[in-house]
Amino acid sequence: MKNNVNHSDCQNFIPIDVAKGYCNMLKANVVIDSPVCPKFAQVAKCKVCSKFGCPDEKGIGQCGGFKDEYWAYGEMKAVNCEMYQTK
Amino acid sequence: MAKEDELYQAALAKGGASADEVSKFGAGGGNVTKSVGNVVSIAGKFGIRAEEVPALLKLAKAWVNKSVDDLGHKYEQMVPEYQIKEEVMRSVICMFDSGYTLPQGREVINYYFPLQYGYDGLIEMAKKGKDRVAGRADGDGIAGMDRLYFYEAARLVLEGIQAWHLNYAKEAKRLAAAETDPVQKREYEEMAETMTWIAHKQPRTFREALQMIYMIHIGVVNEDAISGMSPGRVGQVLWPWFEQDIEAGRTNEDEVTELLECHRIKMTCIDCFASMGVVGGVLSGNTFNNLSMGGLQRNGQSAANRLEMLILEAGIKCPTPQPTLSVLYDEKLPEEFLLKCIECDKTGTGYPAWMNNRGAMEFMMKQYGAEGMNLEESRAVAIGGCLETSPGSWKELTLNGKQYWIPGGSGTPTSVGVHFIANPKVLELVLFNGFDLRTNKQVVPPHNKKLETYEEMWEVYKHYYEIIVDCLATTNNIQHDIWRKQNMALFNSLLKPDCLDKGQHIGNMGYRYNATFNVESCGQITMVNALAAMKKLVYDDKKYTLDQMRDAIKNNFGFKNAAEIGSFSLAAQEKRDENDAYDEIHSDCLKAPKYGNDDEYADSILREYEEWFCDMCHGAESLFGKPMYSCQISVSTHGAQGAATLATPDGRLSGTTYADGSMSAYPGTDRNGPFALFESATCWDHSQSQNSQMNLKVHPNAVKGVEGAKKLLDLTRAYMRRGGYHIQYNIVDSKVLVEAQANPDEYRDLMVRVAGFTQYWVEIGKPIQDEVISRTEYEGV
Repeated sequence: MKNNVNHSDCQNFIPIDVAKGYCNMLKANVVIDSPVCPKFAQVAKCKVCSKFGCPDEKGIGQCGGFKDEYWAYGEMKAVNCEMYQTK
Repeated sequence: MAKEDELYQAALAKGGASADEVSKFGAGGGNVTKSVGNVVSIAGKFGIRAEEVPALLKLAKAWVNKSVDDLGHKYEQMVPEYQIKEEVMRSVICMFDSGYTLPQGREVINYYFPLQYGYDGLIEMAKKGKDRVAGRADGDGIAGMDRLYFYEAARLVLEGIQAWHLNYAKEAKRLAAAETDPVQKREYEEMAETMTWIAHKQPRTFREALQMIYMIHIGVVNEDAISGMSPGRVGQVLWPWFEQDIEAGRTNEDEVTELLECHRIKMTCIDCFASMGVVGGVLSGNTFNNLSMGGLQRNGQSAANRLEMLILEAGIKCPTPQPTLSVLYDEKLPEEFLLKCIECDKTGTGYPAWMNNRGAMEFMMKQYGAEGMNLEESRAVAIGGCLETSPGSWKELTLNGKQYWIPGGSGTPTSVGVHFIANPKVLELVLFNGFDLRTNKQVVPPHNKKLETYEEMWEVYKHYYEIIVDCLATTNNIQHDIWRKQNMALFNSLLKPDCLDKGQHIGNMGYRYNATFNVESCGQITMVNALAAMKKLVYDDKKYTLDQMRDAIKNNFGFKNAAEIGSFSLAAQEKRDENDAYDEIHSDCLKAPKYGNDDEYADSILREYEEWFCDMCHGAESLFGKPMYSCQISVSTHGAQGAATLATPDGRLSGTTYADGSMSAYPGTDRNGPFALFESATCWDHSQSQNSQMNLKVHPNAVKGVEGAKKLLDLTRAYMRRGGYHIQYNIVDSKVLVEAQANPDEYRDLMVRVAGFTQYWVEIGKPIQDEVISRTEYEGV
C-alpha cells in the first residue's frame, strides 16, 4: 500500500460523494479513505505536477504553468489542465 | 471554519442568520450530519473533504468586501428603513434575503436554442451579433453599448460549454480504452460519440436530445446558486425526437422509459449549496426541479402526449424526489392521461401535483399583459420551482424538415423579491405593540392603539404588513441590483428569449417577461384562524379582554414550548405544571371558528385578507420597475417560522409548526370533509395570485382500485372546477409515518409530499415531519 494517497488519487476511482466512489478496476464501491490496492494508478493532481511549487502546511502552493503565476492547492484535479506535467 | 474566525462572527451578526437558528435538517438519508474522519460536516447537511477546507476558506476570504453579499449589504444599509428590515430578519418575520441567497430559480429553463441550432450555430449567432452592434448605441444611450459585451460573453461561455462536453467525451474514451467488457466498452464509446456530437450540433436522436437538455440544466445550475430551475414541459420539448425515432424504429418505448428513469436519477443528484436557513428551513434539502405536463398547445388543443405517459411511467418505476411532476390540469386533457396521473399519485410518491391551467393562464394575462403576453403565449405557461406559475413562449423547432412549436421559459426568476412573511408573527406584533417578545426587540414602530374593535386591529395588521413589505422590497432590490451588475447570469440569459435577439442579458431586461418578482406569505391559515378567534372571543362575544388573550399567549396557555419537548405538532405538547389557569381560554380558542369547514365566519376573514393582500402586493415595485404580486406557498418555512412564533389566538402553541401551504386546513380542524374544505378554499379568486397551495392527506384504502382512482380524479376535478389553483396528495397511512420517524433506517426510500415538493422522509427536519404526521387524514373521498 502506498503512503499519503487515498482512492481519490487513483485513475480508476469515480467519485460518488464525499466519502465513497466506484472503483472501475474492482467494479465495486470503495470508501475513499480505505487502503488503496496494488493496481493504484496516480491521477493528475496539482500536487504531483512539476509546475506546482512551494506548498504550505495546508497544501496550498503556487502554479507556475501559466503566464501569470497563481495559487493552487495540491488536491485539485488536473486531468483537464493543458499545462499539467507529471513530476 | 473556526468559530472565532472574523467571517464566521460577521455572518452571525447579521439579522439574516436568525433563520438558521430555528431551522432543522433531517437527521438521516444523505445528509452529512456530523464530521467523521476526513469528512467535515457543514451545517449538518453538506460534507467536504478535510484536505479541501483550506482552499475553500482562502477563496471565501478573497471575496471579502467584493462579493454580492458584502456589496449588497453595504448599500442596503443606506435605505432609511434598513433598521426595521434588520429586526424583521432577526425576528424571522421574513425567512431570508432574496439577492444574497438564491437570486435565480423558481423559473422554467429554455432548451430551445441549443436544440434548434446546436452550439456551433449559437456561436455564429453571437459573432454576427457582435459585428452588428459593436460601437453602436442604436438609440439606446444607456444599455445600447452593452450589447457588444453580452455577445462576446455569450461566445466565450458557449465555447466553454463545448469544451466541458468534450471533456466528458475524452473521459468516456479513456474509460472505453481501459474496458474489457465489450458491452460496457460500447456504452462508453456511445457516450463519447453523443457528447462529441452535441458539443457542436443539433441532436439527431431522442437520446442525444435528452443528454443535451440534461447538460444544459447542469450548466445553468452551476452558474449560480439556484433552487427551482425547472425543466418545464420536457415531454413536449422532446416530442419531435421521440416521434421521429419511434417512427423510424431507432428506439422503442421501453428504451425511452429507461432513459427517463436515468434522467430522474441524475436530476435527483442536483443539490443546492446555501445557508442552513435556506436549505433546511425552506428547501428541506430539495431543489424543486419541477417537470410540467399537460396544459395546452399553441393552438389551444390538449398538449398531453404519449411521451408524457412514459414520463409518468418512469416516475412510477423509479420513484425519486427529482424531477417532481406537475400536471397543468385542463378540461381538454384526455381521460387516459388524467387516470395515468392518478395512478402515479396512488403510488404514494406525492407527484404529480395538480395545477389549474386556466387559472394559470388568467394570471399570466394579468401580470404580463403589459409586457405583451397574449392568449396564445399564456398557453406556454409552466411551473417553476414548487408551484410558481412562470411565463413561457413558443419557438418553432425544425427537425429533419418537419416543424414543431415547443414551449419554454421566457421569464426572469420568480420567488425573488420579498421572501416568506410569517403572517401569524405579524399578528403577534400587532398584539404586542410592534415588540417581539422572543428576541426582546422593537421590530416595527409602536402603534400605541388600544385595538378596541376588530376593524382597528385589522387596520393595524395591514399597516404593519405594508411597512414590512416595503423595507424588504427596497433592501432586496439593492441586493439584486448588485447581483445583476456584478454577477449576472450569462448561460441562462442566452438560453431565454429574447436575450440573443436583443443583445442584452437578464440584468438589462433581455428576457421577454420581467415582472416576476413577488411577495411570499407563510402561515396564512394559522393567521385566519387566529383572527377568527380574536373576532369571536374578544370582539363579538367579549368573553375575554385583549389583555387576557395577551396574557394567555405570553404564557403559552400554560404549556411548555415545543422546542423544550422536541415535538412540533399541537397534539404532542405538554402542560407546564398543574396550573389550569389557562385551560378554559385555551379550550375556547381551539373551539373558535376554523377555516376549512365551509363556515362563513372564518371564510369571510380569508376572503377579506386575500382581496387586500393580492392588491397590496402590486404596490411593491421590483428593481425592474415592475409591480410585484402575491405568492402563497409555504415550502418548509411553516416549520422554522412557527418555531419563532409565540402561541396564537386559535389555540396553536408556541414554537409549533403553522398550517402548511396556503389553502390547507390546520391539522385536525377540517371536520366536514374535503368538499367543505374546497368551499372554504375557493371563497376568493385564485387567479389574483401566482398560486395557492392545498395539500391533502388521504389513506390508501380510500382510493383503492379502479373505482378509487376515479373517485380521486373526481375529487381533483371538483377542486379545479371551483377555481382552486393547486392540490396535491399524500396517499399514505399516518401509522407508517409514525413508524418511519421512530425507525428511520428502515425507511430510507420513503418519500412524502411536503408543500410543493417530494422529499425523502429521513431528510426532512422534525418540525415538518411532525406537521405531516398530524395532517388530517381522509379515510374516504
